[in-house]
Amino acid sequence: MKEDNILTVEGLSVSYGSFNAVQQVSFEVRKGEIFGLLGPNGAGKTSTLSAVEGLLKPQAGTILVDGHDAILKPLHARASLGVQLQSTSFQPELYVIEVLQLYAGVYGVFATKEQLMGILRDINLADSAMKKYGELSGGQQQRVSLVIATIHNPKLVLLDEPTTGLDPQSRRQLWERIEAIRERGHAVLLTTHSMEEAEAVCDRIAIIDHGKIIAIDTPQNMIDKHRNAPEVIAVSRRGKITLEDVFIALTGKDVRE
Amino acid sequence: METSSIPQTSTVLKTLLRADFTTQWRNRRAVILTLIVPVIILMTWKPLIKVAGGPFVLSNSIVLGLIATGLMGYSNSIARDRDKGIFQRLRVAPVPSWSIMASRILVQLVMIILLTTAVFIIGNSVDKITLSPGGYIATYFTAIVGGAVYLSLGQMIVGRIKNPETVNATVRLVYFLFILGGMMGEIFVIQYPQFKVVADIIKWSPYGTARTILAAGMEPLKWNADASMALLATIGYAAVFAFLGIKWFKWNTK
Repeated sequence: MKEDNILTVEGLSVSYGSFNAVQQVSFEVRKGEIFGLLGPNGAGKTSTLSAVEGLLKPQAGTILVDGHDAILKPLHARASLGVQLQSTSFQPELYVIEVLQLYAGVYGVFATKEQLMGILRDINLADSAMKKYGELSGGQQQRVSLVIATIHNPKLVLLDEPTTGLDPQSRRQLWERIEAIRERGHAVLLTTHSMEEAEAVCDRIAIIDHGKIIAIDTPQNMIDKHRNAPEVIAVSRRGKITLEDVFIALTGKDVRE
Repeated sequence: METSSIPQTSTVLKTLLRADFTTQWRNRRAVILTLIVPVIILMTWKPLIKVAGGPFVLSNSIVLGLIATGLMGYSNSIARDRDKGIFQRLRVAPVPSWSIMASRILVQLVMIILLTTAVFIIGNSVDKITLSPGGYIATYFTAIVGGAVYLSLGQMIVGRIKNPETVNATVRLVYFLFILGGMMGEIFVIQYPQFKVVADIIKWSPYGTARTILAAGMEPLKWNADASMALLATIGYAAVFAFLGIKWFKWNTK
């Protein structure tokens, strides 16, 4: 493992029965980097993330999180991870402040109620402390969810399609918060369907399709590298080559279910 | 704020318990509803006390409360939280998986103790049924053992069935079968003791063994070989259901 890597994934394979969702995937996320995992529906993004999070056991491969083997020492690895799942839900009976208390506790963070209120003030949700999570808007839920993912100051934050369903204002605000995480020296691994998002916030991206990584580079390098490829020019819509054009050229035009 | 790499299990368990007890408290109306059937039995079975004795009525009430708590309460809450992804969110934290379930089960054990206490109080005030101090203590113990059967049966159902609506429908059906087969069967056997096979089936069913140990626990001096066999059978049922429930259980519905 290189010292500047916070996450190293080597030869990862994940199967569901006879279906190989992830096949021999290798990549690394460096310290202080925002790394995007892009791919069509069913490409293997969430399966890869789930394996890193320890939610499923891979058939092969190694995963090192901050030097800890995520398969052999999952609790050590998870302690270094902050996670926002694709569809996060918290106990509907609990108030927002209680959800924060719960997750502070399970991550071993010793925080007073006043400190937790301070966190809610930082995300403009102090007034919602005594509301239930389900009573918050989508953007507010996303903010609470992100704050919980980072409550223990993790070295690596995993965000699974974090901006899905958000309005442009909430999305921009979330990007700023993701960049703020990076500015604090932490790394972010996110999955997204939004090429705009990948271009806007990611330092490097990997495109995954049919369970295999087909390209890894910075968004700009990826565009430059494929700019003159006939299949990219063929799918370009406005003359200017975008990351989306490269993505569609590499993964095909067919709609995935 | 201070943070440690892996939180201590005791800290995690304390935090989970606080959240689970808060959740249970906010669902207190549902908890009170599970007490309705045992209370109705205590009130309507008054004439049976002279025929079959106070422990018979009290034990039937407690068993039905245990079924409601273990089957309806526990399995429905597990099915709902699994479906909503609440468990998955907890599992990506540095939390041992067993502690998530242990916290839920501890809450249900406290519910069993509260249920048993409520039945004692109502049984005493409505039917004037009193037990010896040893009887009360032994009943709490047997209620927990009996409760374990229904908690593990609930675990088995929620392990086998993923859809929360189907879990709900199944546990209601099983609850109904226990009422019909167990409680009604016991009354039938009192009236028609010649049907020995029916009596044996009820006696050695999860309903019957739990009721036997509860009734025996209420009168510890009368504890006999039958009660010991029923205790072993109850533990056996709990062990088998728990083994299958843990084996089949999936943390997510996908």
